[in-house]
Amino acid sequence: MAKNASIYWNPIMETMPREKLRELQVKKFKRIFEWAYNNSPFYKKLYKDAGMEPGDIKTYDDIKKVPKTDKGMLRDVQTRPPFPYGDMLAVPLQDVTEFRQTSGTTGTPVYQADTWQDWEWWAECWAYILYAQGYRDTDRMFIPFGYNIFVAFWAAHYAAEKLGCEVVPGGVLDTEARIMKMQELKCTAFGATPTYVLGMADTARKIGIDPRSIGIQRITCAGEPGASIPTTKKRIEDAWGAKVYDHIGATEIGAWSYMCTAQKGLHVNDAFFLIEIEDVDTGEIIEEPMKNGKMVITAFDRMAKPCIRFDSKDVIRWADYDCECGRTFRIIDGGVVGRADDITKVKGVLLAPTAIEEVVRSFSELSDEYEVIVTKKGDIDDIMLKIEIKPGFEKQEAEILNRLKDELRVKTNLGYKIEVHPYESLPRYALKAKRFKDMRPH
Amino acid sequence: MAIKYNIDEIDAKIQEIKEAAKEIEKLGGDIEAVKKNLVRLRASTKMLELNISDVKLVM
Repeated sequence: MAKNASIYWNPIMETMPREKLRELQVKKFKRIFEWAYNNSPFYKKLYKDAGMEPGDIKTYDDIKKVPKTDKGMLRDVQTRPPFPYGDMLAVPLQDVTEFRQTSGTTGTPVYQADTWQDWEWWAECWAYILYAQGYRDTDRMFIPFGYNIFVAFWAAHYAAEKLGCEVVPGGVLDTEARIMKMQELKCTAFGATPTYVLGMADTARKIGIDPRSIGIQRITCAGEPGASIPTTKKRIEDAWGAKVYDHIGATEIGAWSYMCTAQKGLHVNDAFFLIEIEDVDTGEIIEEPMKNGKMVITAFDRMAKPCIRFDSKDVIRWADYDCECGRTFRIIDGGVVGRADDITKVKGVLLAPTAIEEVVRSFSELSDEYEVIVTKKGDIDDIMLKIEIKPGFEKQEAEILNRLKDELRVKTNLGYKIEVHPYESLPRYALKAKRFKDMRPH
Repeated sequence: MAIKYNIDEIDAKIQEIKEAAKEIEKLGGDIEAVKKNLVRLRASTKMLELNISDVKLVM
């Protein structure tokens, strides 16, 4: 227990035996349930309607009976007072110090309220992440992020400060200026979406800077699944000569998962969150490894707008391996492998957009950008993949396309029309990329 | 679990910080600079509780 304490942010929690962690989770679930029941009109009604009250939570199995919440509910509460958060709020409005909102990728943005304590909690969750990824007080971390209305790397900034890192906010700078500042200051680490990390490497080369020469040792990716897709992760590591670590979190949930320096799957922070994986068809909770299901998640310590049994629609699976780092926090394999509302049927075949990314990014002759457009012609689905071939490989176009078609067919069981676009003509993204466009009438 | 750390002793000190915060609040009366800085102190203290005191839930 607590061996090699220096690799853990909190050796007591991170190496706690799993049966004790489970016991802790039940106690903490009961605590947040009681808090929400007593302080949030939304939760009180939800639980009363289901015939449940705090005393009903005694065992892990009792948790499964608690009604779930979903994004539709989060949007719906916003139509009721107090403005703008709605009656899910469990603290007086004057205690709220932080406003953030979701990106609105799947609909109306959700407004998120946090008290100062909640904000400390965000930074604490991120401290577990950064410390596990090797960040120390000797690091100079650059944050190439717009410091805007989205939570994104705000909490990473505060966590890095908590660790004692020197934090350089790259807010309003453009990409070129950010790269030059990182080079000038000899930054050792930064965090961004995988799309932007790749875009930064491209820009660096364009202005005559080899990204590998900057001296970046570690990069924390978030916002997209890329850093858990082996071919994308390899591209980033090759481009920057740095280790790349994935992290998963969400505005309405918190920062719940992270890759450690062993880079083997992602740990879930079992001390601060309860992650349940639900079988999409049966609704049963999946305990066995390597079986996909959608995540239902509880944040134990987020007080202003509690997140209890939130149906995230993220598709994840438990790993069938342990991590050599010694953490007892459970591991999910491959990060978020899809979205329950994102895996779509094309020509009758289930398709996860991440599978296309894995194939495209495995081709070193292709640029980092691509786009997938699904349309319907008559009764038949049509799937078009737009790609860019890197300069110098144009003459091999026919051979590249044949190989790409073959590999896509093997990986996704689908045939694609492929369109080659001029290098750097497809859209570039600074935050979450929208590369999969389903244009079929629904 | 984690026997090299004395959880009870650390927790007792954390509770002392909370008690001290209450006393400072009482003594500070309506001084905003005291009230608002105590919000921050309490938030940090809460993180200590989440990291350490919560272990007592399963000891």
